[in-house]
Amino acid sequence: MERILQRDSGALEALYDRYGRPVYSLVLRIAQHPSSAEEIVQDVFLQLWRSADRFQISRGPLEPWLFTMARNRALDFLRLKREKQRRREDSDSDILPSAVVRPDPEGDIDQSRRAEKVRALMTSLPEAQRRAIELAFFEGMSHSEIAAATGEALGTVKSWIRGGLLRLRESLGEASS
Amino acid sequence: MNCEQLAPLYEEYALGVLEREERAELEAHLARACPTCTPGVARARYVVAQLAHASPAAQPPAALRGKIMDAVKPSADAARTVVPIEKPKPSEPRAMFPAWAWAAAAALALITGYTIRQMNNQNDQLAQLRKQMKLATMQNQALQNQLDLNRMVASVMLSPDSLPLKLMPKDKNMPMVHAYLHPHMGVAITADQMPSLPSARTLQLWFVPKTGKPLSVAIFHPDASGQIALVAPVNMPMNEIAALAVTEEPAGGSPQPTTPIAWMAQVN
Repeated sequence: MERILQRDSGALEALYDRYGRPVYSLVLRIAQHPSSAEEIVQDVFLQLWRSADRFQISRGPLEPWLFTMARNRALDFLRLKREKQRRREDSDSDILPSAVVRPDPEGDIDQSRRAEKVRALMTSLPEAQRRAIELAFFEGMSHSEIAAATGEALGTVKSWIRGGLLRLRESLGEASS
Repeated sequence: MNCEQLAPLYEEYALGVLEREERAELEAHLARACPTCTPGVARARYVVAQLAHASPAAQPPAALRGKIMDAVKPSADAARTVVPIEKPKPSEPRAMFPAWAWAAAAALALITGYTIRQMNNQNDQLAQLRKQMKLATMQNQALQNQLDLNRMVASVMLSPDSLPLKLMPKDKNMPMVHAYLHPHMGVAITADQMPSLPSARTLQLWFVPKTGKPLSVAIFHPDASGQIALVAPVNMPMNEIAALAVTEEPAGGSPQPTTPIAWMAQVN
């Protein structure tokens, strides 16, 4: 980040090479539209370039900052689409088959390990619980919106999400402390 | 809600699913930089962000990298230090050098000298621009900090749970100081038209308990325009506070008041 503050574009390239793929994957999962996802990811990295000083002040690890910014941007896009009621059904051809790949085996080991933990945890959750967490994270829904969307009791939804997140916290505990 | 009750909600807050009431409770702790909840929420943001890895892995379009780099290129170029021009090493003079060649060489030298001067000027201008950009960034940050502070002050002032108090001056020529006491968000202090203080002196805010010695809350200075705006944590139960008082103390503050009370408000 120091190099980005010094306007070293090579540093941004390196960050893009490391985080471009997971950020794009996240944004595409939320936005469900490749060209919009591309615009959002571009916006996220340009924001990183412009706001590097603000990140320096927060002094946290970069990855969650980047993921959080990408998720917020993508959810903003999703909400805007919903508000305008012009969400269209993407045709099968809209998401290119070549756009879905396996994780980069040469990527950062720590990042891969955490990604595996998250995927393993999500897979281990009961379908309904996993669905509730996905609706919250990828669709930006609140407890009550999820309850309405799934037809489950509000208390059940709350306990599913809380239980799932606490398991995630435990699973990633070492990395986050 | 206390920190212990809020701790299980940190991840849900980071996920954005908390209902308004619980969110407001937690944000009140964050607004006063609660030493338990602030790092707890930071860790929760980290944990929740990792859910990004649950997305199906997708490959961004190959052109995206180039688009991003093209977009940052102008600012990267502007910041890049201009590489000093190496002066060409003088070559061995030839024995037979025609006059026109001397004239051409002289002209070239003039042009080269002019170009180097121009480049040096541009270097100076770039250095100046970088200084200005750095200054602007610092000013922007200072404004952002001020804005954040004003937001915190406004949050406390506007909260229906805040107790507004008027700290009356002992000296009638002094302005009144306003305080807003909130059980969770802290105490906000505002004042206008305050006289300037010598740098060796400071104002110090105290909670005067019903029993026992005054408890220091914050030290502060009026700004250049005579304004005061600050938020400090409430470090004792509100029902034990009998009064708020301000004294003038040596720079750095005092463990106990060393001068007579300059402003005071009773807490009912």
